[in-house]
Amino acid sequence: MPSRTAFIPWIRKYKPKSLSEVVGNEEAKRKILEWIRSWEKGAPEKRAIFIYGPPGVGKTAAVEALANDLNMEVIESDASTYRTEEAVKRFAGRASQYGSLFGMKKLIVFDELDGITGSADHGGLREITEIVKNSRVPVILIANDAYDPRFTVLRNHCLLIEFKKVSKSEVMRHLAKICAKEGINADEAALKFIAERSGGDVRSAVMDLQALAQDKARLTYEDVAWLAPRDRKEEIFNVLRMIFYAKDASNAKTAINMADVDLDMLFEWIYENIPYHIRNPHELANAMDMLAKADIYRRRVKETQDWTFLRYVIDLMTAGVALSWSRKSAGWTPFRFPERIKKASISKEERALLSEISRRIGRKCHLSSSRAVREVLPYLRVIFQSNQKMTRGIARWLDLTDEMVAYISEEQ
Amino acid sequence: MWTEKYRPRTLDEIVNQEEIVSRLKSFVKTKNVPHCIFAGPPGTGKTTAALCLAHDLYGENYREYIMELNASDERGINVVRETVKTFARTKPMGEVTFKILILDEADNMTEDAQQALRRTMERYSETARFILIANYSGKIIEPIQSRCAPFRFTYLPREEVIERIRYICERENVKILDDGIEAILEISEGDLRKTVNILQTAASLGKPIDDDVVYSVVGRANPYDVREMMLMALNGDFIAARSKLKELTQKYGLSGIDIIRQIHNEVFKLNVPDKWKVKLADIAGEVDYRLIQGATDEVQLSAMLAKLVEAGYEIKRGL
Repeated sequence: MPSRTAFIPWIRKYKPKSLSEVVGNEEAKRKILEWIRSWEKGAPEKRAIFIYGPPGVGKTAAVEALANDLNMEVIESDASTYRTEEAVKRFAGRASQYGSLFGMKKLIVFDELDGITGSADHGGLREITEIVKNSRVPVILIANDAYDPRFTVLRNHCLLIEFKKVSKSEVMRHLAKICAKEGINADEAALKFIAERSGGDVRSAVMDLQALAQDKARLTYEDVAWLAPRDRKEEIFNVLRMIFYAKDASNAKTAINMADVDLDMLFEWIYENIPYHIRNPHELANAMDMLAKADIYRRRVKETQDWTFLRYVIDLMTAGVALSWSRKSAGWTPFRFPERIKKASISKEERALLSEISRRIGRKCHLSSSRAVREVLPYLRVIFQSNQKMTRGIARWLDLTDEMVAYISEEQ
Repeated sequence: MWTEKYRPRTLDEIVNQEEIVSRLKSFVKTKNVPHCIFAGPPGTGKTTAALCLAHDLYGENYREYIMELNASDERGINVVRETVKTFARTKPMGEVTFKILILDEADNMTEDAQQALRRTMERYSETARFILIANYSGKIIEPIQSRCAPFRFTYLPREEVIERIRYICERENVKILDDGIEAILEISEGDLRKTVNILQTAASLGKPIDDDVVYSVVGRANPYDVREMMLMALNGDFIAARSKLKELTQKYGLSGIDIIRQIHNEVFKLNVPDKWKVKLADIAGEVDYRLIQGATDEVQLSAMLAKLVEAGYEIKRGL
């Protein structure tokens, strides 16, 4: 069932409430917990931990979840606040000395420490170092890079805890959990694709998932595959519009500079969309011809490794396609996602299996592999589906494994 | 499989291609075989004839004296330089002083490989004789042709195919009706391998074979009909034709070159004006060449389909 709830960012909706819910980074989480518990016996040697790691892996989320677990009051400063010597003193100085005497326990957090600047935040780092040295309440520092030379002194007073990129399978599991809660039936391949693309960044994975899957009952691989690593849908739509409906040749050519779109990817988009926009048979043939020629130059680029040939690829796939039609046949047609990207429909293993099967057939039947695929395999499939006795005999004679027999009998 | 089970073992068992068989028998008698080219359409007994010749020449253990290479799978020049040479250079034990190398689908060999082969044939003719098998002898380079005795295989006469079908059905205890036989003949177009494959597939359903059974198994076996894809395009549905194309390449693993050659085969059977047949053959040739050069299969073939859409449109308008 698609959820029809108002738009709440899933990244907030599914924020971990407890440290144990934070995705991945088990060792870092254990260290944090150990350190915070050590405060029960009085201030430990290191009054601060310095959590560092790439964006989106759950550093801030872990700290917030921890505070929630232990019912602590968080005194937090991030890059949006001034962090001069004065400001830091005002904000954390008192809290670091008297915080734990009455009421809730306190936790001082300096987030986004990379954002601290020498000029605008003059003296801030030195003051933070002072606080870390003498604090009576736990202090947590967060940054992407703890080894920035600016942090050299500060670092020495902290326990360093690294957050690593989250593994693909953990990201996938997290996405699957969200899908389950949102009532989305998602293909594993789709989640895998999003997880892979996130490069271990849980936050971006969840944001992508929401963009792609919100209000859907089902999420297939095709729904996500068009997301190339760098490209964004809107950008591509604009470029396509500019190419297909260009005023003139140079107009079409400039479209390519409008966005940072991968050329091979754009080629796929144009290829996919030509027949939906260009319907007149002559124009369709012309446009496809242009694209086929662009394809030849693309091949020449690869062959010669001479990238100057790229200019011809661009000419033909933009201006060539634009000028091949009169635009009379067009109504408003939405652009479609390229299908060819999902090349994986026959996997490497499957291909290997198929070629081994055809080799075995060829050997026994005195045929080349390609003829075996073409002339024998189709009939074998029908036989394997209809007659077990004959199947056993043939399989034994051709020396086919059970896996091969199963593959051949599979309904296509 | 019945194609192998009922493949003749000896020259005597080959009931047709009489002229060819009698010449081959004379080779056996004199224990001498020249280099040969067996040319002709698929399923007419070329490979069978080569194997039977070897059998009659060497006896039951003939496999030890021959090597079968399929040029489509192993068509590079290195195969000729290494595999072929190694085999050809040594003398066999026994009465016959040479071995036989059967090079199937030789018309798919590259020109370089053929040039290399020519030398090998000459140099080792004492110890090895070559039988080149091809659909078109024209694709074999002239110097090789002039060194070989040519044999032209032709489609089997209808009556003989029918006889073969009846013979197999009797042995396999399969009931076949006249319209079943007719249907098989129509689809297999004189190709005996195809005939027997269809027959066995039809028999696997376990009921008397009539035309319905034949058409249904053939329909199930060929969901990826290239012809169907072409007809979709000719009828103006480019998008459907392109989806079909994707299915052929992705699901069934056909290579672009396989497909364009099948397209070419179909072009002259299409119900379009002759002028268009020639035009389409020309386009197919260009696409074939581009694919060999390494262009993207789907893009090039789609461009071909778009040309078919254009052809269909013009033909409808009487152009």
